[in-house]
Amino acid sequence: MLNSISYFAKLVAELAKFPGVGQKTATRLAFFILTQPQEEAEALADTIRDLKRKVHFCPICFQMTESDPCQICADPRRDRNLLCIVEEPQDVLAIERSHAFKGQYHVLHGALSPLDGVGPEDLKIAELEERLQAGEIKEILIATNFSVKGETTALYLARLIKPRGLRVTRLAHGIPLGSDLEYIDQGTVGRAIEGRQEF
Amino acid sequence: MRILNNPAIIIRHLNYGEADRIVTFFTRDHGLLKGFARGARKSRKRFGAALEPFSEARLYWTEPTGDGLAALKEAELTDLHLGLRQDLDIISLASYACELVEGLIGEGHPHPEAFDLLKALLDHLNHNEPTWEARLLFEIRLITLAGYAPHFLHCSKCGITFSDRGIFFEAELGGSLCPQCLPGRKVLSVSLLTLGSLARSLQTPLTLFEGFRFSSQTTREAHAILEQILSLHLLHPLKSLSLLDRSMPLPSA
Ligand SMILES: [Zn+2]
Ligand SMILES: [Zn+2]
Repeated sequence: MLNSISYFAKLVAELAKFPGVGQKTATRLAFFILTQPQEEAEALADTIRDLKRKVHFCPICFQMTESDPCQICADPRRDRNLLCIVEEPQDVLAIERSHAFKGQYHVLHGALSPLDGVGPEDLKIAELEERLQAGEIKEILIATNFSVKGETTALYLARLIKPRGLRVTRLAHGIPLGSDLEYIDQGTVGRAIEGRQEF
Repeated sequence: MRILNNPAIIIRHLNYGEADRIVTFFTRDHGLLKGFARGARKSRKRFGAALEPFSEARLYWTEPTGDGLAALKEAELTDLHLGLRQDLDIISLASYACELVEGLIGEGHPHPEAFDLLKALLDHLNHNEPTWEARLLFEIRLITLAGYAPHFLHCSKCGITFSDRGIFFEAELGGSLCPQCLPGRKVLSVSLLTLGSLARSLQTPLTLFEGFRFSSQTTREAHAILEQILSLHLLHPLKSLSLLDRSMPLPSA
């Protein structure tokens, strides 16, 4: 009995590490798993194991992928002169849903946040500079969020990239200030890409 | 439940769960607070851009419960400070000022003058270049409002008024020192001009940022003095300094 309680507590503790999940929610989730049929719970465990074994970040663009490099980086039809910079992997999904972008991506895995001490060295910015060094890229579309962190990152990147003589563009406005790309509808994202402006 | 409302400046926010945000805001009459903004990420109807850092807004909230979080109900945007968001160096300085308020004033201590000071700096940076003068004026004034003002124009130990040469400074010993009162260790050597500039910046309205001009020597000395005072009273080094130091290096001699 004591053992079964400690297994339960262990799962609650693991689930409570998820972003935005507190003790209460973690307990509810653990209880849900406990009441599921055996196969369901094991399928969940297998899926988590497979995710960690098979999905990783693309060594070129840092998007999630099961292949190496990812499908977008490997696709010869995508424009190699045009690079779109986003904060998070889910932003690539948001832009792909709009079907308006035909270039390649670079995922920073975060945004500059002076108040939180998140600096350029915490993001995939050195890797971005390496890609630019290769010389194929002609235009950079900065698609960080329209929040203070996203704008800070955009300004930093523009300062870094412009001296290289590349064209630097930003998503057109129409995306309201303070919004995360993830939550914008695909039509608006598509229009913002087509109407991108010199930054 | 009672709903409070007050002018506020948004310091920072943190995404919470799918759609919510935890917002740190500095109110004029209730001090620094943390609030929970339900749905702020997903729906823009209730809060819009009013909860973005550096925004000034009238916020409506219910008093904090057990978790220390106020429940944010509504926000009326007063000033987005759009000009602040268009320059990396201005963002660096504004972020630093916000973090300094968090560090020196702390949560739950009402401080209307400190609110007015932060608002004045953000208003100033909204239309002006970020300068060392703005940074130093903000620092010395906030230090003073927080109750940590040092002795400037007379010796902290013996009280003698300084004439010209041989003035030193050690925040830990209360501020300026004459050569007779020096401790047995190395302290800052400062000029009367710098101490005078700092003292004068407290005699004008604290919300005035225009019309000050410090030489590079005054800037460097004043920075050394204020850095010493701040490190004495801040519990940990400020995170925003790493970006600010890159954005605004000290002027060379
Ligand atoms: Zn890739
Ligand atoms: Zn003395």
